Amino acid sequence: MKKMLSILLAAAMVMSMLAGCGSSADDAAPAEESAPAESEAPAEETPAEEAEAPAEGATITVAAIETAYGSEMWQKVCEAFTAETGINVELITDKNLEDVIGPSMQAGEFPDVIHLATGREKALTETFIKDQNIVDITDVLSMTVPGESAVVGDKIAGGFTETSLTNPYGDGKTYLAPMFYSPCGLFYNAGLFEEKGWDVPTTWDEMWELGDKAKAEGISLFTYPTTGYFDSFFYALMYSVGGADFFDKATNYEEGIWETPEAQKCFDIIAKLAEYTEPTTPAQANDQDFTKNQQLVLDNKALFMPNGTWIVGEMAEAPRADGFAWGMTALPAVEAGGDGYSYTWFEQAWIPGGAEHQAEAKQFVAFLYSDAACAIFAEAGAIQPVLNIAETLEGDNQMFYAIYDNGAKAAMGNFAAYDGVVGVSNRDVWFEPINSLVSGNMTEQEWIDGIKAVNDQMRDNLVQ
Amino acid sequence: MKKRSGRNGFIFLCAAPAVILFTVFMIIPTINVFRMSLFKRSAYSTTEDFVGLDNFTRLLKDVNFIRSMQNTILLIVVVTIITFGFALVFAAILTREKIKGQNFFRIIFYIPNILSVVVISAIFSAIYDTNNGTLNSLLSLVSGKTVAILWKGEGMVMTSLIIAMIWQAIGYYMVMYMASMASIPQSLYESTSLDGAGRITQFFQITLPLIWTNIRTTLTFFIISTINMAFLFVKAMTSGGPNGASEVALSYMYKQAYTNSSYGFGMAIGALVFVFSFGLSALVNAVTKREPLEF
Repeated sequence: MKKMLSILLAAAMVMSMLAGCGSSADDAAPAEESAPAESEAPAEETPAEEAEAPAEGATITVAAIETAYGSEMWQKVCEAFTAETGINVELITDKNLEDVIGPSMQAGEFPDVIHLATGREKALTETFIKDQNIVDITDVLSMTVPGESAVVGDKIAGGFTETSLTNPYGDGKTYLAPMFYSPCGLFYNAGLFEEKGWDVPTTWDEMWELGDKAKAEGISLFTYPTTGYFDSFFYALMYSVGGADFFDKATNYEEGIWETPEAQKCFDIIAKLAEYTEPTTPAQANDQDFTKNQQLVLDNKALFMPNGTWIVGEMAEAPRADGFAWGMTALPAVEAGGDGYSYTWFEQAWIPGGAEHQAEAKQFVAFLYSDAACAIFAEAGAIQPVLNIAETLEGDNQMFYAIYDNGAKAAMGNFAAYDGVVGVSNRDVWFEPINSLVSGNMTEQEWIDGIKAVNDQMRDNLVQ
Repeated sequence: MKKRSGRNGFIFLCAAPAVILFTVFMIIPTINVFRMSLFKRSAYSTTEDFVGLDNFTRLLKDVNFIRSMQNTILLIVVVTIITFGFALVFAAILTREKIKGQNFFRIIFYIPNILSVVVISAIFSAIYDTNNGTLNSLLSLVSGKTVAILWKGEGMVMTSLIIAMIWQAIGYYMVMYMASMASIPQSLYESTSLDGAGRITQFFQITLPLIWTNIRTTLTFFIISTINMAFLFVKAMTSGGPNGASEVALSYMYKQAYTNSSYGFGMAIGALVFVFSFGLSALVNAVTKREPLEF
């Protein structure tokens, strides 16, 4: 009896194992075959036929990150899109979008359009770029905007579709659509500067002088929300130290680039800035407490922080010092008479390789540049990179977006995409150690050595 | 015979769903983790290259991983010892001594366990704030000068995590021990006190040996849950920072698998942590083995 029972149970286990294996094999096969096929084939075929005839009444899924601009604008834009084209939109917005769409994407179900910026901690966009899992949308640039006679490419402001952020593989093809641009720079309390009679520094030497002056009054020169904010800072710094040439070489990890005097200058400036940084900053430079660092500027405890124009909305409810007024300046020039740079930060919308309705998704991307959509976005403070939009801005935004008219040069681009290098990421190597520089747990040389140690690995794994 | 096979068929039918579900949702995915740890792949793409044990050899050379493993072990050791010490002592006091408001204390100690980790991290964010935090303000009050300890700075961040994790766990284990301590017959304590045994002797000679099986089981639970809880606390409180100082094995695995396009490498960490926690549990189980005592 007992034997019989154990045989039966064993049989049950074996059976179920087989059943399990069987089903998983079934599941695995189509996923493995179809996903790459899907990502390649439609990307090449669609422009000819499908793009012209997106199915009316179809439903596409749009996943958009909810940022300081809120999610209501996405709701409105999707409604406007449906009204214009008859294509229904299922909208997903969330502050942690990666966590919401991640699991279903792992199961092989992809949204048709994803709006998500690079440079986020979870690096979802970077993952797709590294995997070459994004649909080529070069043809969208020559499509007409739904409901208008203008062509998408003519509406997008110059330069935006030529950066390594939109054309990650340097092959002249656009994979990511530029969205919501924001000049980044150093934000400060203009009211405090006026009150103390200080001038906003235009060179780093003036910056250090100001740092000493502020120190005497018990104010630190600098703070940063998290080290992630150093990417735009560092890009602009590279431009102002060595120009576009140095920037391109450095972001492509050229051999020996970090031993050049230009690189040393960049490192020296950040290391010196670390000495002037408000000492509590690293302890608060995490996703939970970063607003406390931003609050330091509002409370006049630190003068400058690197940030983007969304800061105004993000800290709108926060208490602040009397007479506080937002000010923003480009990164100071390295020498008197040199160029100050402001990094143009922008988000991206893209179509994942596994998207089901790619033709409709392209229509949607094109619609994002329509006058109607731009107006809805602008109402929430999100500024699309289309021509002549600066004229329609009001308030703080007018001042922020005029930064390039006031002499600052625009810096665009980012580190080139490389195939996942195990255990190493740009943020961990370049920017996270700044926390340790500020707290004194690491020397400048240790930081530089860490960068040099991985530079070659990244170059060897560049996505071609 | 006919009756027998009918019964066996019934047992088979009863056992099958559980066995099937267990296999599909536990055994196969676990095997899959081990399989994927041998490949170079990313989280959202289906292309993969077989790299053999490459991921593991890199892992053992990766200083960041070694640091995260050290942090994990530190948490397991320190949090376990302190939590168990406090939980046992509090439980003994609350069951053995006549204290006013016993239930009140029981509830107060248990509350942290009801709160989600995200709420706890928000509470501790307020406690650990450098400028206006409760802890620094209290220390300033006591010492008479301004204390500005960076609780989440590189030097103190692990201590801060340990404090939060202990605070969260004590109540749960205390209530568990109270339950088993309450079942120890009062007569044992009475007779030993007639023999002249003090409270401390009673605690070590009667209470501890008699609830030993309970301690053993909870210890294994606790070690495994500390590995998991450490991930939640790190995610919610520090994001692994500053500069990786508070990274633990699972948060490092998550980071590599999902944000660094190194899914296979992440799975290698997962496999290693799996083996590690399995081994540790077995070790603890073996070391704490005693003849069970009965009242």
